[in-house]
Amino acid sequence: MTHIIFNDKHIDLEEQQTVLSALLEQGHQIPNSCRAGVCQTCMMQALEGNVPAKAQEGLKDTLKAQGYFLACSCMPQEPLHVRTVDVNMLRSPATVIEHELFAEGVLHLRLKPSEAFDYRAGQYITLWKDSVLGRNYSLASVVELDDSIALHIRRIPDGVISNWLHDEIKVGDTVDIQAATGNCFYLPGSPEQNMLLAGTGTGLAPLIGIARDALRQGHEGDIHLLHGARQIDDLYLHDTLMNMAQEHPQFHYHANVLQAENITPPISKNPLMQQISEVAAEPADWRFYLCGDAPIVNTMKRNLFIAGASMTNIYSDPFVSANDV
Amino acid sequence: MSSLFDRIGGQVAVDTAVEIFYRKVLSDDRINGFFDGVDMEQQVNKQKGFLTMAFGGPNNYTSKDMRDGHKHLVARGLNDSHVDAVIELLGNTLQELEVATEDIQSVADIANSVRDDILNR
Ligand SMILES: Cc1cc2nc3c(=O)[nH]c(=O)nc-3n(C[C@H](O)[C@H](O)[C@H](O)COP(=O)(O)OP(=O)(O)OC[C@H]3O[C@@H](n4cnc5c(N)ncnc54)[C@H](O)[C@@H]3O)c2cc1C
Ligand code: HEM
Repeated sequence: MTHIIFNDKHIDLEEQQTVLSALLEQGHQIPNSCRAGVCQTCMMQALEGNVPAKAQEGLKDTLKAQGYFLACSCMPQEPLHVRTVDVNMLRSPATVIEHELFAEGVLHLRLKPSEAFDYRAGQYITLWKDSVLGRNYSLASVVELDDSIALHIRRIPDGVISNWLHDEIKVGDTVDIQAATGNCFYLPGSPEQNMLLAGTGTGLAPLIGIARDALRQGHEGDIHLLHGARQIDDLYLHDTLMNMAQEHPQFHYHANVLQAENITPPISKNPLMQQISEVAAEPADWRFYLCGDAPIVNTMKRNLFIAGASMTNIYSDPFVSANDV
Repeated sequence: MSSLFDRIGGQVAVDTAVEIFYRKVLSDDRINGFFDGVDMEQQVNKQKGFLTMAFGGPNNYTSKDMRDGHKHLVARGLNDSHVDAVIELLGNTLQELEVATEDIQSVADIANSVRDDILNR
């Protein structure tokens, strides 16, 4: 058993207990969301002691060097002196310049960051409601093509942040955002490789960013984008994607809808997983981007791997939330 | 004579074998239940640890690590038949990579030597 020091207080850690869980148990308000080392909302800083490598996975080298770590993934082996981070170090304000529904329940939010904001299309930011409540949203824009950042936000029943963004936030408001992170983005190596991008719901946000980025960087192989939805009305970027397919012969759009009548291609009732195996019949040579609902992303990933895709060619962003873990 | 690990192909062989082996594991209904719900990227790295060890390569795993690492699986019913299955799939993997029969046997022997640790006996 070891302990942490926080605000000059000594807090014991149980065996296998994380720093986050110990602090929450003591009643401290520590921002957190996914509790799975993904969202980076629970970032803290170590002043003294050794941070386990696992608690720094996915952090930028500059942050690692300053002792930043993720409290939800930190099970120290020896005493660790920790503090909450100065939020102004990590967050910056952005102004809402567009706030419109794409479709029932899907908000298109455009933000103008107050300072230079670098990212790769497909990465995600943390958007903060206040000092402790923050959530991840994927970047649907491309920094080289767009002068503001675009997010697609699905309304989640009883969801704190998504309903706040839908109902209370309006054009002209300011929100705090935190640096982009994540490994699900386009890399220019192997331009001839065929790519398949698949997602459900607002999993489309990072995917359209990645597809546009790939086209911008001169990708030569085919790019298939598959959007899985419950009904036709959920295909919130249908026209945009149809236009992209018309403009770029190598870009192919497939819409896979569970409930539909009188449909014509590219809309079909083919289940998403089946469509994937038809498009990428020999997945060994393909590159994959999978985003959206966590259980669906994880199933797609596993099935593709078993069918012969290489893990090094599968990029994914499951939209995990604390209750999935 | 070179070591088993070198004969099999060292770290490169581990990197090549890991996906083939893990694909077999996930496709095998006798054992894939034990791998449900674990993060696949992390798993691939852990399987590299497993293969390095089984190929007689450099590793820092202790008998206690093996016990602790599989305790939760024993609680879920891990038994000899599952260890046999893993060793079988390991053998099939190495056959596909055209490793010599004697070397495959040596790998099976190494895996067998930790059986009691894996099963917490
Ligand atoms: C890497 C990453 C990228 C993400 N990108 C996007 C994005 O581009 N667009 C987007 O809309 N969302 C995205 N999300 C999800 C987002 O971060 C929030 O989880 C989501 O908006 C819900 O937050 P909330 O505060 O409204 O709900 P909460 O108050 O956190 O949750 C309310 C209830 O809804 C449940 N719940 C939470 N999320 C979901 C869900 N997705 N489906 C069903 N039930 C849920 C919770 O378990 C809880 O019971 C992403 C998540 C991650 C980890
Ligand atoms: C045959 C001998 C075996 C050896 C030498 C062995 C070795 C290992 C090693 C080295 C690790 C990685 C530990 C780490 O880096 O954290 C590991 C993890 C694991 N092993 Fe084994 N293993 C064996 C048998 C089995 C069997 C039979 C099963 C189940 C069918 C199994 C299931 C697992 C699982 C699920 C993990 C990951 C646990 C986690 O999620 O942390 N192993 N094993």
